Amino acid sequence: MAEKLQKSAEPPAVDVAGVSKSFGNQLVLEDISFHLTNGQGLCICGANAAGKTTLLRIMTGLLQPDAGTVRICGFDVKSQPQQAKAKLGAIFHKSMVYPQLTVIENLRFFALVYGVRNGKAHIQNLLEQTALMPYRYDRADILSRGMMQRLAIARALVHKPIVLLADEPFTGLDADASNHLVTILNNFKDEGGTIVMTTHDVNLSLQCCQYVAVLDKHRLIFSAKVSEINAAAFANDYLSYARENN
Amino acid sequence: MSSVGTIIRAIFVKDLITELRAKQLLPTIVCLGVIIAWIFCIAAQAASVDVSVAAGAVLFIAMLFAGILASDKGFAVEQENDCISSLLLAPVDAGDIYIAKLLVNIVILCIFEIVTVPAVLILFKVTVSGRWLRLIAVLLLGNIGISSVGTLLGCIVHQTRAASSLLSVLVMAVLMPIMIPAIVALLLLFGPVVPQTVGAGTFGIAGDFKTAIGYIAAFDAIFVTVCWLLFGLVVGD
Repeated sequence: MAEKLQKSAEPPAVDVAGVSKSFGNQLVLEDISFHLTNGQGLCICGANAAGKTTLLRIMTGLLQPDAGTVRICGFDVKSQPQQAKAKLGAIFHKSMVYPQLTVIENLRFFALVYGVRNGKAHIQNLLEQTALMPYRYDRADILSRGMMQRLAIARALVHKPIVLLADEPFTGLDADASNHLVTILNNFKDEGGTIVMTTHDVNLSLQCCQYVAVLDKHRLIFSAKVSEINAAAFANDYLSYARENN
Repeated sequence: MSSVGTIIRAIFVKDLITELRAKQLLPTIVCLGVIIAWIFCIAAQAASVDVSVAAGAVLFIAMLFAGILASDKGFAVEQENDCISSLLLAPVDAGDIYIAKLLVNIVILCIFEIVTVPAVLILFKVTVSGRWLRLIAVLLLGNIGISSVGTLLGCIVHQTRAASSLLSVLVMAVLMPIMIPAIVALLLLFGPVVPQTVGAGTFGIAGDFKTAIGYIAAFDAIFVTVCWLLFGLVVGD
């Protein structure tokens, strides 16, 4: 996998090397390796319970691997967690925002926790990017699923991370909300950000990632540059494969 | 990265705003405290016992249950929407999260006592004239002890998805070294109990007010330090 992803002179924004993880006797990930430089996006597809979320949680440092290392912008997630976390934003299945706080209070809280300078201007910018400006004084618990997902993205980007990890970001979104999310993710990538995303929605994810990989039987069994494959054919093949394996 | 003070203040303010908006915990624990005191008072009067003797124990039991509920609620908020993960994703030391949660629980217990202490004093017909500072010292040290253990165990119970009822059992068992001297100190402040009687009796380990306060302060220091150190292990992988 590492060889297939484009190598560059820049230090990798994401460097995953030989990561393995088991829960008890159940092997979940085996010898996963890849690296990405700034401005690149990788979409990891896989059937349910293939280990996609586990891989992302290991990359954030929320889970420790049994073997292997994860480096974010050169910082080891295990031995230099504070530095690595400062460069990392993540969205998971749950929104990870406080329902009793308003949209703007959530963002201000996380900006404070991350020590963001010029937080006010950056938050205004994020609210505009995510089209949440009209809802900034609304409590998070009254937001729709699409708005909640945009708030989750804004929270993940509030500290201007270099790397964004997104676990099935399109789940539960309608077409408009999904397209808006693709735009936000592409803007992040265009500004030099790196994205690692897991998804079942191959068509949408291929719009914001240059690389695609398939995780199956604990390993990355396929990886390719999106520009070098027939995206439509890949999406069809993947859908058939996912139906068989779920 | 933010300074430790900024992080603690941010989490502290966030938790207080969350509680004030939810309006769930404070009304519950205040009602619970008053009901506990009222039931004990009725029972003591029915048995023709001098009610003032029980005032200290009743007050501490009410504080204990209020502290357990506050600790439980403090982490229920973080579990909702998996917010605890968002805190752990930030470059924040787990110990800072613990200190912020501890301070919130202490403040909530202080607010609880503003209502409950007068209720206990009235129901049990006890006075603390001239000994207010001593009473405040016992309550504050008691709050620190209850919150220190409750904050850690509340996190464990939520992380392991164990039943919240387990929290009460664990907190009470661990807090025994604080409960005894705290109740003795309150008995000495409230009751007709003379210090010598207490010292010679069941609570011989804390026979006078200063010794009792010393015990509570020492165990507070131990509990806060140990729980602060263990918190990182509890919230981690």
